Amino acid sequence: MSAGDFILQTKDVAAGYGGGDIISNVSVDVESGKIFTVIGPNGSGKSTFIKVLAGLLRPRVGGITIGDEQIAKLSAPERVAKGVAYVPQEYNVFANLTINENLRLSTEFLKRNRQATDEQRSRVLEMFPEVGSRLTLKAGYLSGGQRQMLAFACAMMAAPVVLLLDEPSAGLAPKFVSEIFDRIKAVNETGLTVVMIEQNVKEALRIADNVMVLVNGSPRLFVPAAEIGSHDLHKLFLG
Amino acid sequence: MASYLVTILTLVAIISILGLALNLQWGLCGMVNFGLTGFFALGAYTAAIVGLSGAGTFAATLAAVVVCSLSCGLVALVSLRLSEDYLAILTLGFGEVVRLVVLNEEWLTHGSLGLPGIPRPFWGLVSEDKYEYLFLGLLAVVILILFIALEMLLRSPFGRAIRAVREDDVVAATLGKNVLMLRVKVFALGGAIIGIAGSFHAFYMTYIDPSQFQMIVTAYVFMAVIAGGRGSNSGLLLGSVLLMAAIEGTRYLKDIFNVFDATQLSAIRLILIGLGLILLLIFRPQGCLGEYRLQIKGRESKPRDIAVQTKTRAT
Amino acid sequence: MIAQYVLNGFVSGMILALPAIGLTLVYGILKFPNFAFGAMMTAGAYIALILNVNFGLSLLWSAALAAVIFAMIAVVIDQTVFRQLRDRDSITLLVCSMGVSFVLENIARFIFGNAARSFDLVIARPKYILGLKVNNEQIITAIIALAAMAAVYFILRHTALGRAMRAVADNPALAAVRGVRRENIICWTWVIAGSLTAIAGVLAGMDRAIDPMLGWNYIVSTFAAAILGGLGNPVGAVIGALAVGIVEETSTLIIPPNYRQAMSFLVIALLLLMRPQGLLGVATIKK
Repeated sequence: MSAGDFILQTKDVAAGYGGGDIISNVSVDVESGKIFTVIGPNGSGKSTFIKVLAGLLRPRVGGITIGDEQIAKLSAPERVAKGVAYVPQEYNVFANLTINENLRLSTEFLKRNRQATDEQRSRVLEMFPEVGSRLTLKAGYLSGGQRQMLAFACAMMAAPVVLLLDEPSAGLAPKFVSEIFDRIKAVNETGLTVVMIEQNVKEALRIADNVMVLVNGSPRLFVPAAEIGSHDLHKLFLG
Repeated sequence: MASYLVTILTLVAIISILGLALNLQWGLCGMVNFGLTGFFALGAYTAAIVGLSGAGTFAATLAAVVVCSLSCGLVALVSLRLSEDYLAILTLGFGEVVRLVVLNEEWLTHGSLGLPGIPRPFWGLVSEDKYEYLFLGLLAVVILILFIALEMLLRSPFGRAIRAVREDDVVAATLGKNVLMLRVKVFALGGAIIGIAGSFHAFYMTYIDPSQFQMIVTAYVFMAVIAGGRGSNSGLLLGSVLLMAAIEGTRYLKDIFNVFDATQLSAIRLILIGLGLILLLIFRPQGCLGEYRLQIKGRESKPRDIAVQTKTRAT
Repeated sequence: MIAQYVLNGFVSGMILALPAIGLTLVYGILKFPNFAFGAMMTAGAYIALILNVNFGLSLLWSAALAAVIFAMIAVVIDQTVFRQLRDRDSITLLVCSMGVSFVLENIARFIFGNAARSFDLVIARPKYILGLKVNNEQIITAIIALAAMAAVYFILRHTALGRAMRAVADNPALAAVRGVRRENIICWTWVIAGSLTAIAGVLAGMDRAIDPMLGWNYIVSTFAAAILGGLGNPVGAVIGALAVGIVEETSTLIIPPNYRQAMSFLVIALLLLMRPQGLLGVATIKK
C-alpha cells in the first residue's frame, strides 16, 4: 500500500495529562475510506489517543498528519476546519440548545459556502431521520440513544474526511448498540474514514476493517480485522 | 526612627493575625472570605463598644471573638454545601451589611464620626512613651500563641480531617453532615482570630471610624497570604512584612511625584496594590518563597484545560 | 402608595438588569464571578461624563459611545489579565478581579478626584401616568435598558454568536470540537458584558452622583439578581434584577433606605439556603 492511501497518520505520538505519558510510541496509518478500530482494556489509553487526534490534548512528542498536512500543533477548532470530526463519549450534545441549533452550530464557524452546507444538511437529515423530526426540541430532552444519534449527526454536518468516534456504544441500551454500528458502517460506505475506539470488542470487530490493540498506552497489535481471529486477545489484554 | 519602626511592625502584626485567619479559612479549608474587612470591623467595633462601656479590655476582646466567630459560623452554615463562589459572594454581602450598619446605626457606632477614647490593655503598666513597645510585645505573644496553636491544629486529627474534606469533594459528600460541620467550625475559628485582630486594632488606634475598614484591607490580607504562599503560616508572616515594606515604600513616592495632590497619590498607591495583586496571581501564585507551601492538591489551582475537563473514565 | 414603590423598584431593577446580565454571561462562559463589574460601571459612567460634559454630546450618544469604548477596554483587560489565568480556579480569578477593580476605580479617582459629578441633563418636569409619578430619567432609563436587553436577547437567541456563547457556557470542549474558537467567543462576551455594564454605569450616574465609588452601591444587589435568576442564565438575570429592584424599593416602607443592599444580602442568604440554583436555574451537583 502506498502512502497516498493513508488519510491520517501518527508518528511516535506520546501524550499525558501532566503526570507522565499515558500513551507512547503510537504510530498508526489509517487507510482512507476504511474503519479503523482501537480496542484495549480499561485504562489502556484509548480515550487519550482519540482526544489527541481530535485536538483536545496536545501530544508531548510526535506528529499527526492528515494527507500531507501536519496537524499536531493545531487546536481542535482548527482541526475541524481540516476535516476532522469528533464525537465524544458523553456530554456530546449541547443540552440547552435545540436539535436544530446543535446542527447549525456544527457548521457556523467553518468557512463553507451556503449551498454546500445546505446540501450536506439534507444528506445528514436523511441519514438520521430521528433527528430531523423534532428540530425545535431541546437536546437535553432526548434519550441516551437519540443523543448519540444527534452527536453523530452534528459531526457529519461538517462534511468531515475523518470521523473520530469515542466509544459510540457506551451507555446505550442493547437494542441501540447494533443500530449505531450499522449506522457507522453505512456512513463509512459513503467513503468516510472512521477511527473508532471501543470497549465492545464484538460489535467493533464486526464492522472494522483494521484493528489496533492498545495495552498500557502502547500499541501491541496492528492487523486487518479479518486476521484478528488468529490472535489471543485475552492474553494481549492482560499483558 | 524606632517609633516609626514600632508603628510599622504593629500594623504588620495586625495584618498578620488577619492573615492567619484567612490562611486557616482559605489556605487550609478552601473557604474564601471576601468579607474579611467586614468581620474585622465587626470585631473592632464590638471590642470598642464593650471596652467603652467600662467592662475592661479582656472582656472587650472576648466579646469580639464571640461575635466574630458566631457570625462567621452562621455565614459558613448558609453556603455549606455550595461551591466556593457562593461563599465568596455571601461573605462579600455580609461585609457590606456590616459596613452599612456601622455607618447608619449612629446610636451604637456614631456612624462616620467614629468611636474615640477606646481603652488599651495594660495601660498604666508602663509610662506612656513606652506603651507602644509593650503593645507590640503583647501582639508578638498573641501571634506566637496563635501560630503554635494553628500549626498544632494542622497536624491534629481535626486538621487531617479538614484536609481530607478539602481535597476530595466526593469524600465530603459521602461522609455527610459531621464532616461538613468541620468546615463551619474552622470558619468560625477563623472568625475568632479575626475578632482578636479587630480588638487589637481598636486598642491600638483608640479611635475607630468606618474609613479604616475599606475593601483595601481585604486586598492587603489576600496579598500577604498569596505572597507568602497560601496555606503557609510562616510564609504569611514573611508576606506581611514584604507587603508592609512595599506599601510603606510607596509613601515615598510622594517625594518623587509631588505634582500630584493627596487624593491622586492615594489613588496611585491603590492602583499599585491592585496591580501587585494581579501580578502576584499571574506570576507567583505559589508565593514569593518559591516552592514552599502546604501540599494541597486539587484546590490549589484546578487545571481547567479542556482536555482535563473531558477526562472521563480511563479507557 | 405601594404602586409607586413598585414602579420605582421596577425602573431601578432595569438598571440592575444590565450588569446582572453581564455578570451572569461572564460567569457562564468564563466560570468566575467578576467582582470588577462595579468598577466597570463607574468607568463607563466617567467615560460618558467626559463625552457629555467636555465634548457636549447628548446623553444618548455619550452612553452609546461610552459603551463602545468601554467594550474595547474590557477586551483589553481580559487579554492582558484574565487570559493569563484561563486555566486557574474561579477563586483565583475572583481575587484577580478584585485587583482589576482597584485599578479601575483608582484610575477614575486619580483623574477626577473624589468629588461628585453629574451629567448635563435636560431638566424636565415629572410626568404622571395612571396617577404614578414618572420622571424623565426613569423613562430614559427604561428605554435604554429595554433596548439593551432586547439586543442581547436577539444576539443570544438568533445569531450564530449567541448559539456559540451558549454552547461554550454549556460545554467548552464540545464547542471546540464543533469548530468554535473559545477565545473569540470570550472576547465577544466581554464586548457584550462590557457594553452592558458601561451603559448601566451611565444610567446609575443619572440616578445618583458620579464618583469613584458609584459601582459599589450596586455590587451586592447585582449579585443577588444574578443568583436569583440562576448564575449563567441571562433571562433569569433580568427577572432576578427586576425582583431585587422591587424588593429593595418596597422594603424602604419598613426599613431605612440606606439598608437596601442589606435586603439584597438577605435575598442571597435565603436563596443559598433554599434554592441556590435560583428561581430559574437548573440544579447542579455542587458538594
